[in-house]
Amino acid sequence: MLNDLWLWLEMLPIAGEIGATWWFPFMESLHVLSLAIMLGAILMLDLRVLGWAALRYPISTLNRELVPWSAAAFLVANVTGLAMFITRASHHVENPAFQIKMLLLLLAGVNIAYFHFRVMRTVSQWDSNTRAPLAARLAAVSSLLLWIGVTLAGRWVGHIV
Amino acid sequence: MEILTSWIANSPANDLALALLGNVPGSPPILQTIHLLGIVAIMASALMIDLRILGLAVPTQEIQEMAQRLRYWAIGGLVGAFSSGIWFVLARPSRYFNNPVFQIKFALLVPALLCSYWIFHIAIRKPDFWVTHFWRAKLLAVSSLLLWIGVVLAGRWIAYAEYLFWPA
Repeated sequence: MLNDLWLWLEMLPIAGEIGATWWFPFMESLHVLSLAIMLGAILMLDLRVLGWAALRYPISTLNRELVPWSAAAFLVANVTGLAMFITRASHHVENPAFQIKMLLLLLAGVNIAYFHFRVMRTVSQWDSNTRAPLAARLAAVSSLLLWIGVTLAGRWVGHIV
Repeated sequence: MEILTSWIANSPANDLALALLGNVPGSPPILQTIHLLGIVAIMASALMIDLRILGLAVPTQEIQEMAQRLRYWAIGGLVGAFSSGIWFVLARPSRYFNNPVFQIKFALLVPALLCSYWIFHIAIRKPDFWVTHFWRAKLLAVSSLLLWIGVVLAGRWIAYAEYLFWPA
């Protein structure tokens, strides 16, 4: 049943247009640019939480200034990713690299939610500490590992034919 | 260009690169991911300072402090990007040197590097430049921003040269 969805997406005129023209490389290069910006913002925040960089800034300040960038970049990455996905939807869903990427993406999202809605609740108590509490640091390490995993899996998608 | 291409193609570095990319499982995507992480480090340093100068990001951070803190990340990113990317060029030099998009990428990379070097240098040595030379500062930052974005986009387009230059 889901298979019909993938095929329907592939049959969309826009999917055909993207897949057959320079739109695909354009979407992909925007995808890369936006994820590079997103990862940069996430990296900075995670390193601060871990107490490895930018220690002079309160965590909540960095959080406030960087999250909008990572969120906006994530949005662009999603739109461009979707644009690429629909060109060969039924094929991509069977690609193990793609499946792993989606799983890691989901876990990264859960981790972000955990960090922002649980861990950050007590931030005023450790905002200027060089190192945040263990839960925060675990979330930061998970974030780094998960996002690197997403990147690697994403790159691998194109290498499995 | 021809001389360089054939010199690389006949060198032991070429054999080593081909052996690495062909035999070590997953080495192409892993090296490309390292390349991308290098780009991430450049984005989070050079690009971030450009955005700060333009007043678009991280307003609470001081430009001079940013430059001092981030310059080694920028250098590290460049080293990472270079050392991961070079394997592909060593393995198949003609694929790259004869590709106009590859040439465009490096034509943008050189001024991007110069711009960023200049920005970091000014940020650290002449921190009031951003106030005393307001418009020049903005121009420098915008140029750097556009050049780096151009480098990243061109880099991904290398593999799609046929779309731009058809027939190749």
